[in-house]
Amino acid sequence: MVSSRRRTSTTVRCIAPADSRRWKYRVWDNFVLHGVAPTNERQYRSMPTHGIGRWKYLLPKEAPRKKRDRLQMKQIRAATDTEYGSLSVKVSGYDMTVVEHYSQYIHNLCNRLRIRVAESYALPTKTTAVMLMQEQGTKMYVDALLKTHERIVQISSMNATLCPTCMDVVLQNQPEGVELTVKEHAERDFLERFKARPQLEGLMAQVNQRD
Amino acid sequence: MAAPRLRMAAGRCFYQVFRLSRSAGGAAAGRTGIRRFSGAAAQHAAGPWRLLGAACVQRLAVISEEQRPMEARFSELMHQMELERSLMSDHELRLLDDKKKLKRRQAVDYDSEEEEDEDRDQDIILTQDLEDAWEQRRKLFHTQPRVQGDVDVRVERSDRWLTEPLVLLTQQEVGADRLWLLPQTPWEAGETLKTTAQRALSSTPGLEMQTVFLGSAPCGLYKYRLPRAVRGSEGVTGVKVFFFKAVLRGALPPPGPSSIWARKSELKDYLKPSYLDKIRPFLLDL
Repeated sequence: MVSSRRRTSTTVRCIAPADSRRWKYRVWDNFVLHGVAPTNERQYRSMPTHGIGRWKYLLPKEAPRKKRDRLQMKQIRAATDTEYGSLSVKVSGYDMTVVEHYSQYIHNLCNRLRIRVAESYALPTKTTAVMLMQEQGTKMYVDALLKTHERIVQISSMNATLCPTCMDVVLQNQPEGVELTVKEHAERDFLERFKARPQLEGLMAQVNQRD
Repeated sequence: MAAPRLRMAAGRCFYQVFRLSRSAGGAAAGRTGIRRFSGAAAQHAAGPWRLLGAACVQRLAVISEEQRPMEARFSELMHQMELERSLMSDHELRLLDDKKKLKRRQAVDYDSEEEEDEDRDQDIILTQDLEDAWEQRRKLFHTQPRVQGDVDVRVERSDRWLTEPLVLLTQQEVGADRLWLLPQTPWEAGETLKTTAQRALSSTPGLEMQTVFLGSAPCGLYKYRLPRAVRGSEGVTGVKVFFFKAVLRGALPPPGPSSIWARKSELKDYLKPSYLDKIRPFLLDL
């Protein structure tokens, strides 16, 4: 009988805060995180209702996450009658903040116009040394170092009717000192991202020579 | 690359079908065949439309607009904040070092043998001298003025209003009168409308310029029916003009005969209202 039972630890001992809405969120967080019943109602192990709220054991087992894979090339789409294929929009310039902001602007514009962006990455910075001839003498000295920054936004497909409007907007908002190039994406553009490995290439050449 | 092509069916059959379906729809709506003029029905069914391709060439803004007072104040404030929070560059550190060494040398108790042992490999050129040389070179460089009022007034020049995009207009003979409109030319069988628009630029003398067409799909359409007298004689119901957007590339072209570069706000002075209404939606004003 309920009236004669001793109070066990299953009864609620915690005091709810004055704002009862806060309490509900805390309880929900705990439920979501641990996959168990809210901790203010702790079920003792001998109770038949122990583990009543458990649900995580029902989910399928996930494979443990491997460390980062090698970068895989995303499928290059071919052009159809109504759509352009994979395009890469290259933004380059000397001022890094302007170049980055412009590439972010293009990416956000594509998101807004529901144009699917496959990838958005940076190519290695190219440094150009400007050498000047000395006034008295034949020796050249380094006058300035110009760094060219490049950012690429790879678009997977662009509708042909939307293209003129999109390009017009992008060109009208092009900042000063920034170059914009739009061309089709090819596999060699993907391979350009990687560093050259001279030792590997030498070994491969040796292997091929033997064959 | 297989560029998307606007496949235009042979003009006659498509538009004939279109005309017929419209007139059939009209009959079904309840008008009796007795009241309608048989001549009118035949005209609705018969006439094809003349197709033209037009190029909307834009010279984009060359320089950015002047900052408004609030923008100028804010950018100055941000620049000052960044300057105060930034670290010194190598050049500035060397400048300070040189100044310290110079002060030290001019001190009373400077012993040249003792203290110069450390910096035997000093550069001959001081950093301050480098700065002076750069300052001299900077003075030789002269910038162009941003706004040139006398050039802005001349409508035929392509280097007017460098802060705003301009559109190319030409004066062409349409019917009986000469009108200002975007360069256009009739479509010939077997070519795409984009090629027609490109031909409109290359075939007209004074309009040959390096352009990039932004896409293969048209951005606008203007159509009008010919007056009845002309309709019968030429066998054409009306005219449809398809617009393609292009952007000027490379050097600015010299002024040509009967062509002007107009801002969007100036278009109403040259174009007819109905024509301008159809053009205005695709001329972006950003």
